[in-house]
Amino acid sequence: MKPASFEHIPVTSVDEALAALDGGAGEAKVLAGGQSLVPMMNLRLALPATLVDLNPVTGLDYVEETPDGISIGAMTRQRTVERSEVVMRRVPLLSAALRHVGHFQIRNRGTVGGSIAHADAAAELPAVLLATGGSVTVVSAARGPRAILAADLFRGHFETSIEPDELLTEVHVPAPANGARWGFREFARRHGDYALAGVAVVTTGAGADIDEAAVSLFGVGTTPVRAAAAEREIVATGSPEAAATAVVDEIEPTGHIHGSGDYRRYLAGRLTRRAVAEAIGGSPA
Amino acid sequence: MPTADGLPGIGGIARGKAVGARVTRVEDPKLLLGEARYVADLALPRMLHAAFVRSPHAHARVVSVDPTPAAAQPGVVAVLTGETLTALPLEDAAVHPTLPKTPQPAIATDRVRWAGEAVALVIAESAYLAEDAAEHVLVEYDPLGVLDDLDAALASDAPLIHDHLPGNVLIRDHYSHGDVNAIFQSADHVFQRQIHHNRLAASPMETRGCLADYRRSTGLLTFWSSTQTPDLLRLMLSIVLDHPHQRLQVIAPDVGGGFGPKMSTYPEEVAVAFASRLLGRPVRWIEDRREHMLTTNHAKEQRIDLSIAANADGRFLAFRARYVSDSGAYSFNSATALIEPQLAAGLMPGIYDVQAYEYELLAVMTNKTPIGPYRGVGWTAGHTTREVLIDEIARELGADPTELRLANMIRADMLPYRSATGLEYDSGSNERAVAKAVEAAGYDAVRRAQREADPTADRRVGIGVSPYVEPTAYGTEIAEQSGYPYSSHDNATVTVGPTGTVRVSVGVCSQGQGHQTTFAQLAADALGVSVGDVEVVAGDTERAPFGLGTYASRGAVIGGGAVALAATQVRSRILKLGGDLLEAAPEDLRIEDSIISVIGSPDVSISLADVAGAAYFDPAVRGPGEEFVLSAMSFYDPRPTFSNGCFVAVAEVDLDTGGVRILRFVAVEDCGTVLNPMIVEGQVRGAVAQGVGAALLEGLVYDGDGQLLTASFMDYLLPLASDVPAIEVHHMETPSPRTVGGIKGMGESGLMASPAAIINAVLDAVSPYDPALVELPLTPEGVLRLAGRLPAS
Amino acid sequence: MNTRELSLVLNGVPARAVVETRKTLADVLREDFGLVGTKLGCEHGVCGACTVLVDGAAVRSCLLFAVQVEGLSVDTVEGLSATGELSEVQEAFRRHHALQCGFCTPGLLMSVTEYLRDADPADDDELRDALSGNVCRCTGYQGIVDAVRQLVDDRRSADADG
Repeated sequence: MKPASFEHIPVTSVDEALAALDGGAGEAKVLAGGQSLVPMMNLRLALPATLVDLNPVTGLDYVEETPDGISIGAMTRQRTVERSEVVMRRVPLLSAALRHVGHFQIRNRGTVGGSIAHADAAAELPAVLLATGGSVTVVSAARGPRAILAADLFRGHFETSIEPDELLTEVHVPAPANGARWGFREFARRHGDYALAGVAVVTTGAGADIDEAAVSLFGVGTTPVRAAAAEREIVATGSPEAAATAVVDEIEPTGHIHGSGDYRRYLAGRLTRRAVAEAIGGSPA
Repeated sequence: MPTADGLPGIGGIARGKAVGARVTRVEDPKLLLGEARYVADLALPRMLHAAFVRSPHAHARVVSVDPTPAAAQPGVVAVLTGETLTALPLEDAAVHPTLPKTPQPAIATDRVRWAGEAVALVIAESAYLAEDAAEHVLVEYDPLGVLDDLDAALASDAPLIHDHLPGNVLIRDHYSHGDVNAIFQSADHVFQRQIHHNRLAASPMETRGCLADYRRSTGLLTFWSSTQTPDLLRLMLSIVLDHPHQRLQVIAPDVGGGFGPKMSTYPEEVAVAFASRLLGRPVRWIEDRREHMLTTNHAKEQRIDLSIAANADGRFLAFRARYVSDSGAYSFNSATALIEPQLAAGLMPGIYDVQAYEYELLAVMTNKTPIGPYRGVGWTAGHTTREVLIDEIARELGADPTELRLANMIRADMLPYRSATGLEYDSGSNERAVAKAVEAAGYDAVRRAQREADPTADRRVGIGVSPYVEPTAYGTEIAEQSGYPYSSHDNATVTVGPTGTVRVSVGVCSQGQGHQTTFAQLAADALGVSVGDVEVVAGDTERAPFGLGTYASRGAVIGGGAVALAATQVRSRILKLGGDLLEAAPEDLRIEDSIISVIGSPDVSISLADVAGAAYFDPAVRGPGEEFVLSAMSFYDPRPTFSNGCFVAVAEVDLDTGGVRILRFVAVEDCGTVLNPMIVEGQVRGAVAQGVGAALLEGLVYDGDGQLLTASFMDYLLPLASDVPAIEVHHMETPSPRTVGGIKGMGESGLMASPAAIINAVLDAVSPYDPALVELPLTPEGVLRLAGRLPAS
Repeated sequence: MNTRELSLVLNGVPARAVVETRKTLADVLREDFGLVGTKLGCEHGVCGACTVLVDGAAVRSCLLFAVQVEGLSVDTVEGLSATGELSEVQEAFRRHHALQCGFCTPGLLMSVTEYLRDADPADDDELRDALSGNVCRCTGYQGIVDAVRQLVDDRRSADADG
């Protein structure tokens, strides 16, 4: 189980990275934390000709408080974000979700940008980005930077709307409005495994009087999804059980060896009930 | 009985400061400092690296293998195929009149029978280059029909896996004891349960690996392997490679866990040894984890139907069972495809007093990885099936499941007891162990809490009780009783050197159990020295006497017994010589702290070093014709002895997720004389953790094409620290009347009997839904289906 | 063959080697530097046997290419004790029978070394979650949990005294 040969291009800036990607003629892959890519390379299921290694880049490793939330450099380690005081204060949902990503040894290396660009449908960070209405900044040498809203980012399992010549450089997570509350639940076979289903919930309003609700599910389709019907139910009824029922009706998960589609649908419903209850009755965001 | 010097003895072994104490392990420092050397850590000058090319098809004719493009790759020294590798195929050595052989070539020639079977071997200057080149071996396959499960293999029009067999059933056997039919016809109740036990991978953290070093000048082949059985591997390699046995040395260096699969000889070992001999250079092969999942023996998959006939009071009257094992593509060489069903069948009566029992067993060949031994072979599947059925019986009869078990149990006053399958249980504490376990687990309190619990709650608690007897001391007699007749014994040599320190060499080798410590404890007490004065050597066919290796809980009883016997002989010689030097009778002497002294007159003494020095260098101490060699070799082939115990699990089930949390786990273990309680507890806990995996997490899954879907640790789920509860171990000590020192084996019960405790706790938690368990592991989804949250699958 | 010169600080000492760019850090430690204490159990990042510290952070050395630690510091099991005497963590592992075959032990020791820097588990459940990135197949984890709990407690009482 040894990786095949590849060209390793360590880069120290975004410009260098873009140039290297350009020169890779579509055969280059970005190496961020490598916690998903390198296992695939060791198994020879991924055979990139060139790896553009972002780890030496300076200036992509930061957590910044902004007026509307936080901005995170793409190469910031998940462990850094998990422990960031700013994140705990402004978007505690993100801190909570990060504790479910693999194990601390994985988060020591894995990056926030890498996880989002990888777009595993069962991963936590894309779902949190979707729940909070976040966005990412991507840059290309030819066209410069652009922002992509989370809602437009995830196209399929391991697929995003990031173009091959673009690089994800920053992740923006808006802090929920004042008085917003949140809930997060996932269920995996073991601690640190990818979720069989999971849900991130953000609500605003007081008590049972909910103005707005965001319900973002992961592990139930080819991308993280917003559960629109469940969100309407929460606003209309404030009922966790009604939200759960709506979720069960509006998703159609596929099965794999650890759980059938039926099971994951049931699970998503029950987790939604708990997460909504946690949000409505729970901690202020 | 007292020993000569008044130390309390236990059936023939001396018990001083070491035996029975929590001696920290002598093997730990090298492991903690990174100085241990496993086979992958060994390198030799001019060493080459091997990579196997493996079949992607589960069943196919091999039309052609073209190694030439691979041979032209950078760093490649040789590419071997089934044509160019000439060795006899591996087959089992079982002496069984009706069991056919399924010869297995080191590298497939014209046929592959499971996805992962080797079709070529690339030898190159590095592992990276060998893997690169392996992708250039061109193999043409003609796919055949795939037998991906028992039903496919048993279908009347199923293709044959082995053309020389009349069908895919390797062997069908029948056994009957007592008037089973009559009892079933007249019994008040007949209860029945079928369980398809999951296919498991023992998954030692160190994969397999070997390093072969053949010297053309001498004809010596030195072979390092991560094996449990160096002498058997040496013999097997000698036979299939036609290599002179005296010129073959097998060394098991530090080994990173075994648990059963490393007791077989594997095709890769034959191929690597062959390659080294062909090339005259050292060749190393280290299995990677994907290969390990695909090719190292799988374990425990069988479908068991068990029926129990009982009277109105719930007294078990007769058992009837059918065992159909999904044995994989070859009847493997260590113990054949019979290993699962035969051992399950033999121990099905278990701890219960049932003298009427009949069974049929079938070993069925399928296009999957061959089945081999894994801790608690056969017993896990059988025990789980029986204990799940007993809980069902209790539910149907409205009886308490613990009371039902006790009412049917072989009580201590019935021992010795001959089971319906001919196993002779020697001694034990059966019902006392159950009482101790349920008390420690707070059984009555759990039952009370269950009665008071909100019946609509999302979280429900259950309790499972699983008592057992565990066959140990795998000597010739129990081999016969178990249906695998062969000569099973071991040897040990104990030598006191000229400075009064001790060297022990023994044929039982360690894969992490701590033999170096326990054997040193036995020798230390026998010779009155400290553990630190004893060095234990094992795992090398040139440095240790012949032995059958480590499996079937034979280490402590056979290895330990042999060490104790040899040490006792050396002790006699020391006392004889010490008596001569002190002018005292040997029976009046004691040895403690390496000083030989007269009992009652401690001032009349001589150091062990002085006695040893005299033995080696003072001709005056020898009488005419006398030898004063302070060394003895012993042979030991013990009679069977059985450990016993009881596990209790308390589990909470979350009906929203199907998740199971084990709240309490209590283990009562009675393995006779306890040599080192710390090591016993470690064995229990390690095996119970594997039981957690077997019950809730682990399962090797194939698709309809015979492709293994769980070939990585991402999909094959080993228990993590967060999955395993604190495991409370309580000791009981009923020495065996049959073995040296009253020692009984242990180490397998945890995987035999803990899954049943856990599963029954879960089923108890969802008992209002009448759960009917049919397959394992008990996944979260499976739990919800049993609890009616999802439709039954 | 793509090679590159690599320099790093290895167990506190500057070290250099010319390494193949595709070689994992684990393989380079084991083969190029002879530090075979670091083990390979799965080579896909799950088992944790290959865990080492890179700039003080516990990471999987099977998921890093050696060329990626250019200029960084790497600590392996061989660096835990300079004298051959067991360190406090190693001694706790021995006392609590936290190892059997020893194959997972080096990786666990490195994970625990980082964990203990600011570990403050509320209970054993949290401690077990923190230890769940290293697979042990022998011990059932109890000895490991006991050893780490004792080390955490020792540090807490030292902090309280200090």
